[in-house]
Amino acid sequence: MPELVAEDIAKRLGENEILRGVSLRLERGEILALLGPSGSGKTTLLRSVAGLERPDRGRIAIGGKAIFDAAANLEIPAERRGLGLVFQSYAVWPHRTVFENVAYGLKLRRMPNGEIKTKVEGMLTRLGLKNLTGRYPHQLSGGQQQRVALARALAYGPPVLLLDEPLSNLDAKLREEARHWIRQIIKETHSAALYVTHDQTEALAIADRIMVLDQGIVQQEGTPEEIYARPACSFVAEFMGSNNRISATIAESDGRRARIAADGWSLWGELHGAKKAGDAATGVVRVESLRLADGGGDNRVRMPLKSASYLGERWEYLFALPGLELRVWGERALPPGEYWVAVPPDALWLF
Amino acid sequence: MKLRISRVAASLGVTVAVAAPLALLVYQSFLSDPFFDPRATLGLEAYQYVLTSGDFHRAFLSSFAVSFGMTAIALPLGSLLGFLVARTDLPGKHWLEPWLLVPVFLSPVVLAFGYVVAVGPVGFFSLWTKALVGTVPWNLYSIAGLIVIAGLTHVPHVFIYVSAALRGLDPAVEEAARVTGAGPWRIAFSVSLPLVRPAILFSGALVFLLGFELFGLPLVLGDPAGLLVLTTYLYKLTNLLGVPSYQLMAVVAVSIVAITFPLVYFQRRMVGAAARYAVIGGKGRAFRPLPLGPLRWPMLAIVILWLLSVVALPLAGIALRSVVRNWGEGVALAEVLTLDHFRGLLQYPNLVRGIANTLAIGVLGGALAVAVYALIALSAHRAKGIWPAWLDYLSLVPRALPGLVVGLAFFWLFLFVKPIAPLRTTLFSLWLAYSVVWLAYGLKLITATLMQVAPDLEDAARVTGAGPARIARDVTLPLVRFGLIGSWLLIFMMFVREYSTGVYLLGPGTEVIGSLIVALWGTGALDLISALSVVEVVIVGAALLAALRLGVRLDA
Repeated sequence: MPELVAEDIAKRLGENEILRGVSLRLERGEILALLGPSGSGKTTLLRSVAGLERPDRGRIAIGGKAIFDAAANLEIPAERRGLGLVFQSYAVWPHRTVFENVAYGLKLRRMPNGEIKTKVEGMLTRLGLKNLTGRYPHQLSGGQQQRVALARALAYGPPVLLLDEPLSNLDAKLREEARHWIRQIIKETHSAALYVTHDQTEALAIADRIMVLDQGIVQQEGTPEEIYARPACSFVAEFMGSNNRISATIAESDGRRARIAADGWSLWGELHGAKKAGDAATGVVRVESLRLADGGGDNRVRMPLKSASYLGERWEYLFALPGLELRVWGERALPPGEYWVAVPPDALWLF
Repeated sequence: MKLRISRVAASLGVTVAVAAPLALLVYQSFLSDPFFDPRATLGLEAYQYVLTSGDFHRAFLSSFAVSFGMTAIALPLGSLLGFLVARTDLPGKHWLEPWLLVPVFLSPVVLAFGYVVAVGPVGFFSLWTKALVGTVPWNLYSIAGLIVIAGLTHVPHVFIYVSAALRGLDPAVEEAARVTGAGPWRIAFSVSLPLVRPAILFSGALVFLLGFELFGLPLVLGDPAGLLVLTTYLYKLTNLLGVPSYQLMAVVAVSIVAITFPLVYFQRRMVGAAARYAVIGGKGRAFRPLPLGPLRWPMLAIVILWLLSVVALPLAGIALRSVVRNWGEGVALAEVLTLDHFRGLLQYPNLVRGIANTLAIGVLGGALAVAVYALIALSAHRAKGIWPAWLDYLSLVPRALPGLVVGLAFFWLFLFVKPIAPLRTTLFSLWLAYSVVWLAYGLKLITATLMQVAPDLEDAARVTGAGPARIARDVTLPLVRFGLIGSWLLIFMMFVREYSTGVYLLGPGTEVIGSLIVALWGTGALDLISALSVVEVVIVGAALLAALRLGVRLDA
């Protein structure tokens, strides 16, 4: 049985439709990332599950028990849903010590003091906060506060852990480390986690499953590999990774593959959706799929080098023809001139 | 569930406390006799009498002229002050800033009395000037004198809003004008002040409204010239007719409210407009103040001159008057110095009680009021639905009611509503009236304090399992405790300086310094008034210093 089920969640704020019927299922021990740009509705969905927002439509159940049902006018208040929530701002209470922050949920559940002490200390040890129990939040670094926020949300063993962009306030280096331990901790506690983020790398690294949201609807749902390698629509294709985007007209199509062409170039790609010759199409190809080739061949274009930038671990070249601009990564500086760019047909997605 | 009960209790309590006095006034105004008189019948006789009375017409016109005149003085001066302090390199402005708000905390009746003894016909400065130039070139007891003093003492009300709005302005818009070649005045008139126009309009409407509620200044300064405004007309009505005529007093009170309520409502609407205007969000980054150049010192001189005239001059007058035996032409100061007036205070048990009561209502009553305001504010804190909106409108009502009118209404209520009648002679009646008069101010203070708590901190407690009451106790209140102490200090000062609300409630057991001064003014006991005024100023001054020391924001 799924730990968390949300069905057909819709929410409107004035003229603005924030969620337009989103459903999700979350299994025990699973991490589901809600990924989308700002304004996609992902945080509203998370806050609806937490009980901090009231959706206009839909149904939410935890462990098979309904906590929200718009049709039945049922709404269990946030404080009785028993969930854990990690805020983007951490929201660590500044007037309570680390210990008191983490112990609060247990105290509310009337756990005896001795037991609270054991439990909280266990949790703090696990998160590497053992020496900080008596400190106040203002004496902690951002990374430490972040751990306190996570410890507080996990302390009372919530069946579902909600995380709202928990790493976005950390600096880049800390964030990379945090991805690993956050996944590890969630996995160790066997709780189901709903993880909201706008950072695709974070979602890919942390989640077992990703749900891409845009404009209040689910664009695609799948494992990180599926989302990255087999995007279902142009939005997902372009949202993930580093891409080249080509606007062109379909020259010929066999229903599965199609050829786009313009003055001086022509490329075969994988066709997504029903398009026939003469239709306008958007081609998306990941930058890392392109290679420079030594000479002409299938699906290769000869293009003049427009500019090249040094990015540290690699070079990025920009090639341009009328109606076609391609970024390609390589390992060395290129002298000006014309080069052959190879585009693997199965890496060029036509939408 | 518990919260719902407390919300219902809070809304009922506030509604009754605010609406009951207003309803009684309106009801009384339509009766032919006092409302407790069995002969009283419904009718419009009282209105007919008041609205056709020449005195009432004159009082109305005077009120209007005073309101208009003081706005015309306070608005430009307050805006200039706001611009100088918020935006320019005015010398010593950080040191000066807290002093600019001091007039707000001084009792108008004390200020007015201070002006009388300082620059009245036989005031200290008048006589010294006369000794120098042979004549007193001003007449304090005139409508012009009243307007100038009311205008100057209300400059801070404009300054508060304009400087706050200017601080919220992105300095880049001024820097852009500067780079384009505009000097500081050009910038003020073509960029900064136009951008904060809503704040200027708002404070202008506020000062205009306060003009109709003035009581202490016209009572003291207008009286000798026979000048009556609406509030003093109401106050003198009993004397004018020789018999207490409740229905006429009610009609005058209702007339005042009929003017002030639309002004308050209009102002409330403008707050909404001002919020929409706030698209120019300040980034709070450090910026270099606009250099005033050679005008720095003349500007500083204007500010200091203003401060001297609204704080130093009247306070010096009171202080001096409290230590001289008598004063007049040909009296040498050194020969009449005495501390007898302060000793004299001790001879009158009611004055001693008044001082004790003032402290009690400030310290205990202030704390209790803050507690009640906090409960009310918490019940609406981050609540959705109609209650916060209803509360918002309810708190408008007392703002439209001058303290004198609220005091009158509560006096009637305590006089004739049998179950609460015994409370009339206790400080409770006074406390209740004070709390209603300062409801809007107190709620604004506390709501602003509560809003400083990031919603996430409360949501975190909620998700962790805490109900609303628990969140208030464990998160919100502990986080705002310093804000509450600051609010208490501000309310303390307001309660200590309050004078008009206690005028009708004044009786054995409910004496406070403010209403005693008003009562003593009628008897001409200048010695006692000056000593009492000094006591009040010292109490308020001590609280003001404590507030500044604690870093309490005075411009709430």
